[in-house]
Amino acid sequence: MLEEIKSTSLAGEDKLPKYRDHEERILKGNYAAAEAARLCRVGFIPAYPITPQTTIVERLSEMVANGELDATYINMDSEHSVFAAAMGAALGGERVFTATAGQGLFYAHEVLQAISHFRLPMVVCNVGRPSIPWNIWSDQSDSLSQRDTGWIQYYGESAQEVLDTIIQSYMLSEKLNIPVMAVLDAFYQSHTSENIWVPSQKLVDAFLPPRKAGAMHIDLEHPKAFGGLVPPEHYYKFSYNAWKDARKVEALSTEIAARFARYFGRQYSNVEAVNIGPHTRLVLVTVSTITTTARGVVRNYPDVGLLKLRLFRPFPKTGVLEALRALPDDAVLANVERNFLGDAEGAIQQEMKRALFGARNLRMLDFYAGVGGKDVPPETIEKIIYQAKNDPRDISWADVD
Amino acid sequence: MSPTQEFLIKDEKVYSGALSCRGCAWSLLARHLSSILGDNTVYVVPACCFSIISGPYPLNGLKGNIVHTVFAGASATATGVRAALDRQGKADTTVVVLAGDGGTFDIGLQALSGAAARGENILYVVNNNGAYMNTGIQTSTATPYGAVTTTNPGGGYKRTWPKDLMGIIAAHNLPYAATCSLAYLDDLRRKVRKAADTRGFRLLMVDGPCPPGHKTDPALSISIARLAVETKLFPLFEIERQRYTLNYIPDKEVPVTECLKYQGRFKHLFNEENGYILEEIQEHADHYWRQLQTKAELSWNGKEKEKT
Repeated sequence: MLEEIKSTSLAGEDKLPKYRDHEERILKGNYAAAEAARLCRVGFIPAYPITPQTTIVERLSEMVANGELDATYINMDSEHSVFAAAMGAALGGERVFTATAGQGLFYAHEVLQAISHFRLPMVVCNVGRPSIPWNIWSDQSDSLSQRDTGWIQYYGESAQEVLDTIIQSYMLSEKLNIPVMAVLDAFYQSHTSENIWVPSQKLVDAFLPPRKAGAMHIDLEHPKAFGGLVPPEHYYKFSYNAWKDARKVEALSTEIAARFARYFGRQYSNVEAVNIGPHTRLVLVTVSTITTTARGVVRNYPDVGLLKLRLFRPFPKTGVLEALRALPDDAVLANVERNFLGDAEGAIQQEMKRALFGARNLRMLDFYAGVGGKDVPPETIEKIIYQAKNDPRDISWADVD
Repeated sequence: MSPTQEFLIKDEKVYSGALSCRGCAWSLLARHLSSILGDNTVYVVPACCFSIISGPYPLNGLKGNIVHTVFAGASATATGVRAALDRQGKADTTVVVLAGDGGTFDIGLQALSGAAARGENILYVVNNNGAYMNTGIQTSTATPYGAVTTTNPGGGYKRTWPKDLMGIIAAHNLPYAATCSLAYLDDLRRKVRKAADTRGFRLLMVDGPCPPGHKTDPALSISIARLAVETKLFPLFEIERQRYTLNYIPDKEVPVTECLKYQGRFKHLFNEENGYILEEIQEHADHYWRQLQTKAELSWNGKEKEKT
């Protein structure tokens, strides 16, 4: 069964790869996310508009209206209500999807906590933008500031990756009962068209079974109270169990990605190492679309490598250490931050230091780049490389300092 | 069956041992509600006294599912629960929000308005005890003019009028909304039944006695609730698609002071220098009543409303 439906990469020398049971389409990142939700047969979509996410929920509305998707779609009154409704429907046993961005995610913060503490599976797309003063452009401060809410976080480099990650995320979320946030970059991804391979419904159905009812499920035959006051003698048990399951995420994510590759023909890993070996002197650490720019630049620098973080929460410590195994101890890491969280160091460097502490003593340089949507062209990446090699400073702002 | 027997609870849907204070509205209200709504009911409860009264983990005071949810999001969570049940062919399951006045008039108003405007098939029950009682008697926008709470800097009592929630709710053109009192159980039970039998968003506002918050004798909870209706401080009425019906017209004029005098939170109003506040409250109650009368007259084009 598995062999029959598996897709095979038919990549030629100068051809795009082709995948069996897929349709080749040109889609913006937001529409790719909507396609993924449709293919995962989501049943409940609470919606509220916010730039640059809006076209996701617009497209889903269209799909529900024209019968492409059998889901209950409700226009809510705020993102707080969107997530509160998502929580209710997930407790009711539905597969839930929604999308938000920036202020919307900040507004929903309280409910993000409740959803993960309730151990409810769902997948939500966040199209990253920073906080007020108003800015709608690409920035990961919103989702990275929610990294401690107990949600799993993936950051997609391409629209294809977002589509594929959402499909994998439902499997991961429903196996562990931990919600997943799939993050896109504003405009560079959300509103940029790419060639996308959209898998067939048959293929996705074979990969992703319908959601099964878990313990946190409203059962009319066996009524219970969900989320009442939990005294100290019990509360820690919930946290303990969540902690145990959070520790399974990295390995399970890898396992699901491998299974995904067998069905769909596309390979993903929690972290990706590019040109990291004994000869490497400098490694750029990136997430999302900056990775693509950096990929192009490092081709011209034989001694510069790239470490892409796809899974960010829980932080893939094992994967990072493995990816850096061949890197000499005197090499340098340059963390590229499209976020500002109020501390000296950005989120990526904070996480990298925690991951490497006690295992590797590599020098780390932190580069703020692209905050508030500021473009990060190849020249900026080259400046980062130049500065890291010739004038290494602990923390600096690319194109500013 | 005689009316005196109609409010007896025959099929108890609440376990014993509720954690409410003596003379609290919540326990009696929950017993009557659940006995009418039956087993096929899911309750959604934001932060409020009932979150505690219904029992800490792993207890459940009701013989039905209770979803405890975030303070501002009860109506939204209920929307999600409703959607899930409907998708699973359980449209006959009643989804009920049990909230306090803080979770309704204040922090939950936006979600409430959203769900009401969407016409979600939800029954919303607000136990209005006129302050944040669960956290220790802080002012809400339901707190009556002149009442003492623990958060009234300045004069020590509230100097603004409470929100007219029923007016706000009426403006949403709901199929059914009503005020209820635990002192008029036959009326309350009829309204719960009517609300249960109506589809769409329905709201019941119950006058909630709260001895610690109102500084009253627990034994007088029901008597004071009755006086609130008799004095027209808490009129009993129904609203169907903006059409009003007065359900109880007191036989004689009883001044508001007859109800206020039993409540320690209004004690200072009986000092001579505060007499004008009592007059303002009386005038406000009289005016609200006249408004209701006028709305009721206009509502049915002079025709008597069909008996329910």
